Amino acid sequence: MSTPDVVSRDKAAAGLVDVGLIGRIAAGDAEALGELYDRYGRVVFGVLYRMLGSPEVAEEVTQDAFHSVWRQAGSYRPERGAVRTWLLAIGRNAAIDWRRTRGKRTEREAVIDEAAELFEELRVEDRVLASLRAERIRAAVGTLPVEQRQVLALAFWGGLSQSEIAERTGTPLGTVKSRVRLGMTKLRERLAGEAEQA
Amino acid sequence: MTDHPRDDLAAYALGTLDTAEQRMVGAHLDSCATCREELDALEEAAWALAETAAAPAPARLRERIVSRERAPRGRLGALFGGLRAPVPLAIPLALALALIVALVGLGSARRDADTYTRAVAAVVGARLVALSDTGEAPGARGTLVVPVDPGASAPYLILELPSAPAGHAWEAWVVRGDRAIPAGLVEDRAGVLTVALTEAPAAGDQVAVTLERSGGASQPTTRPVLAGRV
Repeated sequence: MSTPDVVSRDKAAAGLVDVGLIGRIAAGDAEALGELYDRYGRVVFGVLYRMLGSPEVAEEVTQDAFHSVWRQAGSYRPERGAVRTWLLAIGRNAAIDWRRTRGKRTEREAVIDEAAELFEELRVEDRVLASLRAERIRAAVGTLPVEQRQVLALAFWGGLSQSEIAERTGTPLGTVKSRVRLGMTKLRERLAGEAEQA
Repeated sequence: MTDHPRDDLAAYALGTLDTAEQRMVGAHLDSCATCREELDALEEAAWALAETAAAPAPARLRERIVSRERAPRGRLGALFGGLRAPVPLAIPLALALALIVALVGLGSARRDADTYTRAVAAVVGARLVALSDTGEAPGARGTLVVPVDPGASAPYLILELPSAPAGHAWEAWVVRGDRAIPAGLVEDRAGVLTVALTEAPAAGDQVAVTLERSGGASQPTTRPVLAGRV
């Protein structure tokens, strides 16, 4: 049985452990980097796999991302976000860099085009992940209006900036920004509702 | 305070802002508790999206990531001014569990703890020495972290510092007898941060932080803003 209060306490405790790991990494402790990988490697690798479409490339870029964590740990600022958010941003930037510098244009475009449909496909695809939580998250995303799902997918899986999404979809930048915000706010509310019912 | 970057906060949580926008939102977060709270909630949603993609990586990947950083210790040491080669620092399991239990037990009070306090509270497997604020830089705080196992990772400082004036940097010192040994430089960074010490302080040494010209000095030229004895 999980209550919101317990979820919040667990999250806070996990955040403290993460900050401690970053402190050790900044001090030159490679094993701490391994522990950070144990906590979040599956998610980082999975996101990069989905963004880049190849397990071999995702493996290479995940390694690059953790190397960046090693080099940048001293500049991590807890007041600017959780460690896992910081890690995810580093991973996504590494993927975007890889795509821009080494990915073939045709492959890059194909992955971005697929990304626009990814959330919808995931709603009906129940084989990829058996986890109940993943299903609940996908169901929550599936209840968002289509234009919000589209901008979230292009931003998150497609790796496009908000300006790039505006250009690609012919939508004003302000509208794109509002859709990202509304989509994320609704998703947050729905997931919080899920946690209360769990 | 500037206007709250409400629209960009969600994109920030998703990690989809470009570098300049990211920096702008980051700077706002330094001083805005309201947006930090909002970000906390949005980060949950962003991480939830990421979790839907979680997939097992090849088993070799972990070892590749860790061994890549173990190997170039010598070069890294030179880069950062002589970090000694650390051996793995294992957190004693019982200590780690005790920390988590204690933190959960603190309940909501802990959520109010500030970033610096949280960073210090998260340290395990090490001895902490609080540095005193000398009044030279109001709000400056510092803690020396010395791993319990002296052969483990290098000692480091957790610091909270204001921005150094243009052309200046914060410099850490180990003061042994009447000799001050440069031990680390903080350039272009402010707020809560960590800096690995390039000189390990011994019992009886003092550790101090001063404001110096960018690039560092060979001897302190200003009064310490923080100081403590090991």
